[in-house]
Amino acid sequence: MSNTPLAVDQIRAEFPILSRSVHNKPLVYLDNAATTQRPQSVIEAVGHFYRHSNANVHRGVHQLSVEASEQFEAARAAVARFLGAPSEREIVFTRGTTEAINLVANSFLRPTIQAGDEILITHMEHHANIVPWQMLCEHTGAVLKVAPISTDGELLVDELSSMITERTRLVGVVHISNALGSVNPVAEICRMAQAQGVPVLIDGAQATPHTAIDVKALGCDFYCFSGHKMYGPTGIGGLWAKAAHLEQMPPWQGGGEMIRYVSFDETSYNDIPHKFEAGTPNVAGAIGLMAAIEFIERVGIDAIANHEQALLQYATEQLLQIDGLRIIGRAKEKGPVVSFVVDGAHANDIGTIVDHCGVAIRTGHHCAMPAMQFFNVPATARASFAAYNTHEEVDVFCDALKKAIGMLA
Amino acid sequence: MSLDTLYQKLILEHNRNPHNFGPLPSATHIGRAQDALCGDDLEMALEVVDDHIVAAHFSGEACAVTQASASMLTDWLVGRPIDSIAPAFSAFSAMLSEPNAPPVAELGALNELKPVGAFPARRGNACLPWLATLRALGRDV
Repeated sequence: MSNTPLAVDQIRAEFPILSRSVHNKPLVYLDNAATTQRPQSVIEAVGHFYRHSNANVHRGVHQLSVEASEQFEAARAAVARFLGAPSEREIVFTRGTTEAINLVANSFLRPTIQAGDEILITHMEHHANIVPWQMLCEHTGAVLKVAPISTDGELLVDELSSMITERTRLVGVVHISNALGSVNPVAEICRMAQAQGVPVLIDGAQATPHTAIDVKALGCDFYCFSGHKMYGPTGIGGLWAKAAHLEQMPPWQGGGEMIRYVSFDETSYNDIPHKFEAGTPNVAGAIGLMAAIEFIERVGIDAIANHEQALLQYATEQLLQIDGLRIIGRAKEKGPVVSFVVDGAHANDIGTIVDHCGVAIRTGHHCAMPAMQFFNVPATARASFAAYNTHEEVDVFCDALKKAIGMLA
Repeated sequence: MSLDTLYQKLILEHNRNPHNFGPLPSATHIGRAQDALCGDDLEMALEVVDDHIVAAHFSGEACAVTQASASMLTDWLVGRPIDSIAPAFSAFSAMLSEPNAPPVAELGALNELKPVGAFPARRGNACLPWLATLRALGRDV
């Protein structure tokens, strides 16, 4: 990793929302694992598209449609570059990670999965990487298996390996846990699974803002991500999949854009990736996502990661000094997420009180209820960091937290 | 609305020392309500005799607002006819959501929860014990 320090003040100046107040206090935004804020370049890219080039894509000969189509496809190329994908044909735009996983469940597995076949996930998955498989199992008689985690919140990789059987049709694993912060050894998991001919899907929603992604080096089959977790707009994200998979997968939604020829007797489908993009796509979202990728590339993902890791370490040290506070998720390698519970203070009450100090954190189950059940907690409070956060903000957060604990004790 | 009005002494006191907390062996009606988002999970146990609630307990794990609301509600429920609970909940909901609404005499001490109404993200917490109560009485909402 590069050791060049991040120019945080300059970065903060790019995010208009960071200058607002909440309850008459400066905003301290530490809910980045839920969604990041957007830099001016992303806001402007979306606005510029609507002001100058708005048209439908791939449908017209007029100038605006040509511009919109070119920008939309340029965004696809940017995503391919960002993920290290061999070809932009392998990038399918979706609403986000959830839709990408549902696409794989419905288009890759559903046509061929049999009763008794197995899908293997982990105990730390987000609901987005649980429920689509449960729904598939319910309809097909396939079996969802869950690899265990340790009390530190680390995936037990040997156990996962031993749970891969000749019936396993897919391994689905989160790259970085949103609830615990744990970073999973996804490249190692891919090697293990593929040694047995089992494809691997990676939920990368929490990884793309914090670590360089190279899908070729990871060796996965499917990689899913969301734009809004990485400084981009909501409602846009994507699926990277090996072209060989996409070629043999049937479309999962029908409509315009995804067809080559339609008659009432017969319809033929468009090429990849377009056959998976029925209807008018989120053109402005894709263009905003491209601006977000350019923002990350300009700042440097390694510099962002270094800065966030420093914040994580500092916040962890500060939190551990608070009596009665227990951090949930103590993996050796973590993304910039710290989840915790406090004796005698419910996460919801903590969230309300720190909010009145201007500090936005997430409280609840973080859409990872099985992980909460594993740690036997109904909810946690979670602070999560991004490129624009500062050590001073960690101090404000810790002071607010101490105030909350004092009020509730 | 200041924090102190939400986390007033009364709410904190009920949170620290909840009334009627724990199982009710004589219960005739039991209802459970969960707030999946924040992790609250509450059970209301009622003893009903001649269509009147004669005892009410609650158990479970919840935030301060839910716990205080449940504690106060279990006090309030005793002696009430079961048919009066649903209309009272409507009045309670309206009391929370309408900032200028005057106190509702029938709700008695439950009017003290009015400051919760100024925290829209927390209104659901104050209502959760009511939902469990109505479920116990077979009136799903």
